[in-house]
Amino acid sequence: MTTKKEVTLLLIEDDDIDAMSITRAFRKIHLGNTIVRAHDGLEGLQLLRSGAVPSPYIILLDLQMPRLNGLEFLQEIRQDPKLDKSIVFVLTTSKSDEDITASYEKNIAGYFVKEQVGDGFLDIVKMLKGYWKIVLFPED
Amino acid sequence: MKNFANPISNTEIDRQKLIDSSQFQSIHWLVLALSVILTISAWYIATAQLNKGIAERFERESLQVIELVKERMVLYEHALWGAVAHIDASENEISSQQWQNYSNSLQIDRTYPGINGIGVIYNVMLEQRDSFIQAQRIERPSFTIHPQHQEQELWPITFIEPASTNQQAVGLDVAFEQNRYIAIKNARDTGLAQLTGPITLVQDAKKTPGFLFYAPFYKKTLAHDSISSRRKSIQGVAYAPFIMYKLISGTLAIDKRLVTLKISDNGQSLYNDLDNADKSIIDPNPLFKEQIMINVYGREWQFTISSNLTFRAATASNQPYFILVAGIIINVLLLALFIFLSRANKQALAYADDVTRELKIKTQRLKKSNQDLEQFAYVASHDLKSPLNAIRKLVSWLNEDCENILPDSSKEHLRLLNNRSERMNKLLDDLLDYARIGRHEYAPRKLELSATAHEIFSLLDHPSGFSLTVEKQELRLPKIPLEIVLRNLISNAIKHHDKASGQIKILYKKAHDMHQISVQDDGPGIPSELFAKAVEMFQTLQPRDKVEGSGMGLSLSKKTVEHYGGSLSIESDGLNGTTIVILWPVSQEIA
Repeated sequence: MTTKKEVTLLLIEDDDIDAMSITRAFRKIHLGNTIVRAHDGLEGLQLLRSGAVPSPYIILLDLQMPRLNGLEFLQEIRQDPKLDKSIVFVLTTSKSDEDITASYEKNIAGYFVKEQVGDGFLDIVKMLKGYWKIVLFPED
Repeated sequence: MKNFANPISNTEIDRQKLIDSSQFQSIHWLVLALSVILTISAWYIATAQLNKGIAERFERESLQVIELVKERMVLYEHALWGAVAHIDASENEISSQQWQNYSNSLQIDRTYPGINGIGVIYNVMLEQRDSFIQAQRIERPSFTIHPQHQEQELWPITFIEPASTNQQAVGLDVAFEQNRYIAIKNARDTGLAQLTGPITLVQDAKKTPGFLFYAPFYKKTLAHDSISSRRKSIQGVAYAPFIMYKLISGTLAIDKRLVTLKISDNGQSLYNDLDNADKSIIDPNPLFKEQIMINVYGREWQFTISSNLTFRAATASNQPYFILVAGIIINVLLLALFIFLSRANKQALAYADDVTRELKIKTQRLKKSNQDLEQFAYVASHDLKSPLNAIRKLVSWLNEDCENILPDSSKEHLRLLNNRSERMNKLLDDLLDYARIGRHEYAPRKLELSATAHEIFSLLDHPSGFSLTVEKQELRLPKIPLEIVLRNLISNAIKHHDKASGQIKILYKKAHDMHQISVQDDGPGIPSELFAKAVEMFQTLQPRDKVEGSGMGLSLSKKTVEHYGGSLSIESDGLNGTTIVILWPVSQEIA
């Protein structure tokens, strides 16, 4: 076990306000972790492949996005041997069973609906804070 | 979905019935076959009956002819025995004049039609020949016996009346020829009236067949009870010559008969209609023909009787043909009826299929259009939600960040902004639920009504003055749709209540394969004229600022219940509370 490194959050979210909510929530509970923002799946994939996201990282993924949507993004990374172990949380407006099932089939770590994660996404950010405090990440 | 399957299969059964009745079934063929058999049988029986009747009639006709001939012969026999009696009654030998008187008084032409004459033949031994001639010449000087022959006795025709038509016969010795001779010997030996075989009378210029009829008379003083005594005592015979065609004409004339007659004696023709009658009524192919042997005074006469054309005409009957034709017409009509019915059914089937096809296309279009609409509502409400969420967030950030610098009025505006955003959010949520009803089928599962309702009640943000009582009832229903409905109805009951406290009751009963769930409140009620408006989408009966609501609760509930084949109705007098009655079909148990 190596020394615990700071975890980077890759936020793949097309909605600026939602992205701002996450940053606001980080600030509110004084989390200093790096947030890398991608505006859609394709950008997220490019960032990951270009190494712009330092390991360890977790991904907070929206589903409805232009160019490459969340499910397509999941499909891509699960087929990529370098990225297939990525930890992905889905944060979306969609409550649909189809989306939930399809997402878990792609081995996501958790599925959250935006309106259910507390004012200003505070609940999910608190969850993330606790999560990466105790979770072990796969070795590169 | 099984309860939807039944009408479909019923339709299928009806359609199959229509197909069946549009085709010729064995029953049709059976009816036709029976009808044909019946027709043919009726025709056959009628024909057989007719033929039997005709055959009987022919039998009657031929018997009648024979009986008439026999009757005639008996009549002639009587005439001869009458002559014999006359001779026997005379004291002396009778004279030619006496015989003429007798004959005249008899009026044989009238009394014995068909007879050619009546006469006397004496038996004369060869040695008495001359004395016999001499005796006759006293009265008739030209009397002579002819012709000469080898026999030892003579049988000269002595008297014959009427003389004028029988002149050639006078003096004819009938022993000259075997037919005449044998018959006269038979008459002598038997003492009975006897006939000769077919001969040609000497007085018949036409030389047609005829015969002689003899009746013997004996010497009065001598016994004649045996052949030998008869031979000894024979004196002569009374006789009558006959020309056969004359005998037949008169009462036996062919125009009085329906049959053609031919009489022959031992192969020799005695009479034949072909030679004597109008040939136009003789049937060249007679329907019936029979031969009968009749014993007539020592001769075997063969009667050949065949039906003639008048018989054919008299017995012709079209009845069997009428029966046959009528039967065939009925069968053809029956066939036509079956074809017509089958065609009508085919047309009905084709029409029904057309309508069904159109209906299917329309239904598909409608379904598609409904799906499009639901999809639109779903996407629209979904996509409207994210900017709304953003607005809500931004408002909350403004509140957080500027709490200390904003004037109170701006804070109030922000609060209203937030409130309207909430309302819109609720509206979009309900719209999403509404659009989602048709998107997902929920399987029925076991649930307990009371527990389900209380769980919903506890999750609703209700004032403490409200209470809920529910009948305990195990049900098998799709849980989530039922929850949606109950939540909306309970929520409505609380929201629209006019007092701070209230009683909500949920009652259950089973009615005709339907679960009947009633949600009863003691609120202000709904006037009946507003029932229709209450279930309309986006309709609220009170201003939204007074009672928060999307206006979709009831219509959402109604759509949900209806989607599962049930119904929702409002019962209220507009004063004392409202009861919403839900009828939900009982789910089929899956075995």
